[in-house]
Amino acid sequence: MTATVSSPTVGLLPTPRRSTEKRRQRTLTWVLAVISLFTVAPLIAVAVLALSPADAPTLPYALPSSLTLDNIIRIFNVGEFPLWLWNSFLYSAVSVVVVLLTASMAAYALARKRFPGRNALLWAIIATMMVPVQATLIPTFILISKMGGVNTLWGLILPTLANAQAIFLIRQFVRDMPEELFDAARIDGAGEWRTFWQIVLPLIRPVLATLAIFVFLWHWNDLLWPLVVGQSDAARTLTVGLATLNTETASTSNVMAATLVSFIPCLVIFALLQKHIVASITHSGVKG
Amino acid sequence: MSVNTRTRTTLAGRHPELTAPPLKPFGASKARSREALAGILFVLPTLVIFGLFKFLPIFGAGAMSMTEYSLNGDFEFLGAENYTRLAADPNFWQSLKVTFLYVAIFVPFIIAVSLAGAVLLDKLVRFTGTFRALLFIPYLSSFVMAGIIWTWIFSTDGPLNAALGSLGMGPVPFTSGPQLLVLLSLAVVSVWKGFGYSMLIFLAGLKAQPAEVHEAARIDGAGAWKSFWYVTLPLLKPVVFFVLVIETIVGFQVFDTIYVMTGGGPARASHSLIYFLFDEGFKFFDFGYASAIGVVLFVIVLILSLIQQRFFEGKDSK
Repeated sequence: MTATVSSPTVGLLPTPRRSTEKRRQRTLTWVLAVISLFTVAPLIAVAVLALSPADAPTLPYALPSSLTLDNIIRIFNVGEFPLWLWNSFLYSAVSVVVVLLTASMAAYALARKRFPGRNALLWAIIATMMVPVQATLIPTFILISKMGGVNTLWGLILPTLANAQAIFLIRQFVRDMPEELFDAARIDGAGEWRTFWQIVLPLIRPVLATLAIFVFLWHWNDLLWPLVVGQSDAARTLTVGLATLNTETASTSNVMAATLVSFIPCLVIFALLQKHIVASITHSGVKG
Repeated sequence: MSVNTRTRTTLAGRHPELTAPPLKPFGASKARSREALAGILFVLPTLVIFGLFKFLPIFGAGAMSMTEYSLNGDFEFLGAENYTRLAADPNFWQSLKVTFLYVAIFVPFIIAVSLAGAVLLDKLVRFTGTFRALLFIPYLSSFVMAGIIWTWIFSTDGPLNAALGSLGMGPVPFTSGPQLLVLLSLAVVSVWKGFGYSMLIFLAGLKAQPAEVHEAARIDGAGAWKSFWYVTLPLLKPVVFFVLVIETIVGFQVFDTIYVMTGGGPARASHSLIYFLFDEGFKFFDFGYASAIGVVLFVIVLILSLIQQRFFEGKDSK
């Protein structure tokens, strides 16, 4: 318990007290270990099922006697799985780059430049955060279909580039930068673009990293919009493909192999940037 | 604005002593308009994207909800007819009932689990980082992935029913049985996938509590449970409220797990509001009617957001 640990009396406590605390810590560790089993076991089950040899006894009745990559190799060779993977990657990666760039530019202007209509625009952008995406699903679909974007990657990506939360978060960062920084840039004769590119962008790198993670995860895991706009393989993403695989008569091992592959990028991001993700949720309440 | 700068320029030209220090008035106004131009150019991409894909669809949703709209672009103005049709549609009331029932199960469930996880992690001295990571990992998965895993776990020949079977029970129809059981199963999946986020927010709230208060409670003889109930929880109230609203909004938007696990069934037992919208829009292509459902969702979420905002403003002004 934090209170006990930070208390200066902890070393002075009589031994029975300390042994109770020790026992409490041990119980606590066991309880958390059991809870962790609940959170992690389903993921381990996916891996085991994905790596089990075909026709061998496996979960839930037995553990496979050996593991194989056959299922994973098969889903890469049969069907459209690689295409879905590629589409998901483009949907996520292109969105990250464009959202970060356009949102930073807008945030810089909204925080630092005076121009007519600025406050109205800022207010309108923030107000859109109150509208759930599902509420505008139909008109957005009609718009994209009129533009000829149904079943295309650009039709998939374009509407998701409007990210109010990104603008909002970056703007807070840019607003808190010291004015002297910009005065110095002006005196040095830096143009608007150079000021943005060489002063603003490097300084907002932490918030950009956070947003990159969350925008990527959000797109990678998104279902409803890709489901509506990407009905053919040309624009079908992993989530949509997985959902169809699951309802079709695909074998469990195939579905689990595809599921496992879809999760690997998220795991890698988490392994590399765990501290960053935790800090950003606890500080700014970014919703992924 | 241009009028304003011009008067100032002429004023400064006539009475330079009035505007101290001697700056170049014309240059200043030129800089001003250059600043405005730069600002506009920097927001331009966002203005175009938001104009097309946020502002236009938001007004479009309201407008379309008052029409009968077909895919080829023909539409007929209906006024409030879609809304009166909604009010008389048993499927709409069923989807509202499903959604409210689901929220009533999901929200207390996810708050209890994430709060318990946060309290345990907060009290733990060693391996905190490891356990935090292990509890958080499911949050990285998609609802689709969570749905696929739990479809297997809940299936007749899945591990849960295998375990129940070895005890001589079951099989339990987790995703095809009575409505409350199905909604509970769906809530389990969403809690498993989503609680890590709220847990971290709770954990931050707990870490921010002053240690002295807990120390004082301990000295006064309060046990762990009493100390949690009378000290920790009241101090955590604003955070609990924040999480409550966020998770309620998440609950009202439930769709992915239903799409993967039950398809809205059995017999519309899990046919949520978004599922209803999706069906009307992309199964029956009744776009006007589906837009009206979207407006209803918007109103629900708006009310929740306003409650949240009001609460937080009230807190700030104290």
